[in-house]
Amino acid sequence: MIKNRLMAAIAMATLAPLTLAACGGGGSNEAGSEGSATQTVSSLTVLDYYTESPSHSQIGDQLQKCGTSIGVATVDHQSVPGPTLIQKVLQQASSKTLPDVLMLDNPDIQQIAEAGALMPLGDFGLNADGYAPGPVSAATFDGQLYGLQPGANTLAIFYHKDVLAKAGVQPPKTWAELKTAAKKLTSGKQYGFAFNATADYEGAWQFLPPMWTNGGDETDLKSPQVAGALQLWKDLVDDGSVSKSAVNWKQADVNDQFIAGKAAMMLNGPWQIPSLQKAKVNFGVAPFPVNTPDQTSIAPLGGEAWTVPVTGDDAKMAKAAELVKCMNTDENQMLRAKQGGLVPTKLALAEQYKTEVPSMAGFTDAVANARARTGKLGPKWPDTAKVIYTGMQLVLTDQAAPADAMAKAGAS
Amino acid sequence: MSDAETLTTATEPTTPSSEIAPAPRRGRRGEEIAKILFVVPAALTIIALFGYPVVKNLVMSFQNYTLRTFINGEAPWVGLQNYVAVVTDELFSKALVNTALFTIGSIVGQFVIGMLLALFFHKNFPLNGVLRALFLLPWLLPLIVGSAAWRAILEQDSGVLNVTLEKLGIIDAPIPWLTSPDVALIAIILVNIWLGIPFNLTLLYSGLQEIPDELYEAGALDGATGWKAFWNITWPNLQAVVSIVIMLGVIYTLKVLDIILGLTQGGPANATQTINLMSYQRSFVEFKFGQGAALSNILILISLVFAIVYLRATRRQVDE
Amino acid sequence: MVTHQQRLAARQTRRGLRTAIAIVLLALMLFPVYWMLNISLQASGGTLPSSFFPPNPSLSGYTTAIHDQGQNLVTSLIIAVGTVVLTLLIATPCAYALAQFRFRWITWALLAILISQMIPGIVIANALYTLYENIGLLNSVPGLIIANAAHAVPFGILIMRAFMLGVPTSIVEAARVDGAGLVRAFLSIVVPISRNSLITVGLFAFLFAWSDFIFALTLTTEGKITPVTLGIYTYLGAHISNWSAVMATAMLASIPAIILLVIAQKYIAAGATGGAVK
Repeated sequence: MIKNRLMAAIAMATLAPLTLAACGGGGSNEAGSEGSATQTVSSLTVLDYYTESPSHSQIGDQLQKCGTSIGVATVDHQSVPGPTLIQKVLQQASSKTLPDVLMLDNPDIQQIAEAGALMPLGDFGLNADGYAPGPVSAATFDGQLYGLQPGANTLAIFYHKDVLAKAGVQPPKTWAELKTAAKKLTSGKQYGFAFNATADYEGAWQFLPPMWTNGGDETDLKSPQVAGALQLWKDLVDDGSVSKSAVNWKQADVNDQFIAGKAAMMLNGPWQIPSLQKAKVNFGVAPFPVNTPDQTSIAPLGGEAWTVPVTGDDAKMAKAAELVKCMNTDENQMLRAKQGGLVPTKLALAEQYKTEVPSMAGFTDAVANARARTGKLGPKWPDTAKVIYTGMQLVLTDQAAPADAMAKAGAS
Repeated sequence: MSDAETLTTATEPTTPSSEIAPAPRRGRRGEEIAKILFVVPAALTIIALFGYPVVKNLVMSFQNYTLRTFINGEAPWVGLQNYVAVVTDELFSKALVNTALFTIGSIVGQFVIGMLLALFFHKNFPLNGVLRALFLLPWLLPLIVGSAAWRAILEQDSGVLNVTLEKLGIIDAPIPWLTSPDVALIAIILVNIWLGIPFNLTLLYSGLQEIPDELYEAGALDGATGWKAFWNITWPNLQAVVSIVIMLGVIYTLKVLDIILGLTQGGPANATQTINLMSYQRSFVEFKFGQGAALSNILILISLVFAIVYLRATRRQVDE
Repeated sequence: MVTHQQRLAARQTRRGLRTAIAIVLLALMLFPVYWMLNISLQASGGTLPSSFFPPNPSLSGYTTAIHDQGQNLVTSLIIAVGTVVLTLLIATPCAYALAQFRFRWITWALLAILISQMIPGIVIANALYTLYENIGLLNSVPGLIIANAAHAVPFGILIMRAFMLGVPTSIVEAARVDGAGLVRAFLSIVVPISRNSLITVGLFAFLFAWSDFIFALTLTTEGKITPVTLGIYTYLGAHISNWSAVMATAMLASIPAIILLVIAQKYIAAGATGGAVK
């Protein structure tokens, strides 16, 4: 009897730690836990918003090649329309069906990370050494890196070379020059300048070049520097150099106006270059002008990063991190940049890129200094963006003066 | 008992079905079950699809529901805090006024034009059916396509509407359709009317077709033609259809989202902000889902009040 | 004195005039659709055609659309037709019941149905995603048909009920007295009489399903089932848009749908109730 009970006790004592290990090794935020890391992963799911051809197939190819190179046979690549990406992520999060690799637009990374949905990439041995500062600050939350961004873009002034040459106007370097040039170039159906000032994040994004260049900061929207930037936008519209329709034009519409010859200059990004080349536009690119000579032209950081959501499957998450790393190799960065009209984010690739794609030289330099929207405010950026575009529209519709527009829009 | 009953023919009142000779006991029981079965599939479908969202939406409005909630499922109870937050927001009163103007303007426009078109098509003429079907073409095109086309048409400088109006000499300067806070709301009301015409036309036309020709013939003998025929024969017999068209029209208009997002994003400077747009932005742009839910519940309350008031008003009208 | 021939001629002219006016009204109504056609023939892909007629019409948008969207079109058609059938099957008996049967709870039922129409689509889609995920209906055409039909059923009930209120109970009673059961009376008397409302509801069920975007987006996760409303995003990226291909797709996709609608409209004949009472 005692022998049986002793046998039972020994059996339980042996089994208990095994059972506990099995329970404890399941999905959780335990960084770098071994768990089931020795299982082979045969497929990974990737979610992004590259719905359009040819980007969809180009990214798909890159993902598949990377998958093969890390030993994953299938990469399920799913793309959803841009504005619906976050909704999809939320649905999947609540039903615990997040993808293994998730693409996020850089200003969204910190918010999603704060919600606890992303794995810190440092846990998988990844880092962003040698990257331009902008992409790193956008993807860093609470001291941890959450995303690696292979390519970046930003904003600059595009101009019709022939139109400016004919009017004897040089690409503007200062705000004063911008105003005079735009005024001079406005004739007939052609406006001198065009930008997007819609009531959404795109409008806020386009307002950042003047705001930051003038020394304004998103943490203090009521400052005179921000008012100065608002004044520039207002002056351009009041002068008649920029159409009042700017409050309704998306960046795509601004591009259409530029191509159609209805705007001599525009504020836009390098993703428009393929369409400009297709329409055989003889265009030049110049950095956004400065207000006073002691300022430097600062442009906002655009582009998307690859992240690893918290799925609880250690083996898959480890492989996902490898996939993210592969998408960020020098080779893949160059490929993506050339195919997508972006600039590689690794500073070491800048010179090579400028040689191979001379038309992107200006943008390459700009990206090295591009500033992340979430750099200072982190997850609080979207609220501030809303104040920015509201204040901007109040000024452009003559409902507030630049000095108190931001306050009226709800700036704290 | 049923709401908005009508006298469908001038001569024959409907008789309640309880006046038939009662069926034998077993048959009556079977009949009761059969009657319930008519309704069961629909009831199940509606509860399955709409039951959970209604409840969840209601509960969510009393919670602090954020991005985090989607990850860890925690949504602390905050009582009426969300409702207070949205109602005291300075944008709320503006959005409320805009919503009222948008709804009233849209419904009046859609209904009147739809009614006139339905009456026009009520006569027989070649190609009647084909042309009527083609009026539904706008509903076959995705809304994103429709709003892109309208934005191009309403563009201030080069949009074809302004260009045409100027060429015809009707206006001197281009109208800032989507760019002026004063005009933008009118612009989206007009686009919404355009969107709503096929709905009104098709339903009212079908309603007109149900009215027997004999009524008109009898009325014509008494000298009722044209406007008199409409007022004394058409309108009373159309009541059931009219009331459902208007009621659904209001409910659907309160929910309009994509066309406003596509045309103005709620701007310029919140000139076209509506309660539903605010709800969408709170939830899916600012990720304050509790507030978004509170706003959509306020909207549902408004719809409900309208529905009840309207049902009572039409019931009284019928009883007169 | 006006001869019979003259009267006939006058009536034909009046009719011809009506057709002409109808065409003008339709042209006004469909002008934005014409504009979409205009954009679809632009080579550049932007939304800014500067004139009434495209200066250099190009069919590149159409060739792209035909090349890519064939399967999507078939998917859209299957989902839309399936939705019509399912909606009518579920909604018609319920509409009749709420119109003619004496239940004590009819007002509450109507109110519940009305409330269901007040819920924003996105709220429903989110809840449906969780449900479908649990029962495994994601990424399936039947799943989308069920979702679209369930969405259209309340509308169908409300519309058909409004029409069925006008069905004279005398004819149904006549059939019952002759010994027909409730279901039999419903199928052989009520349904044919309500043909107009059935077709009308069928039309709208088709249109709702055809232009549905949110269910298609939410309830598919693999990109294999893409009705046209999702398929156009092949040409719409976060940064770049090819509007001529988008518009071309929309135009091409509406052709089969319009044919179905025209056929359906022809069946909305006048006075379906009138004859039966006699």
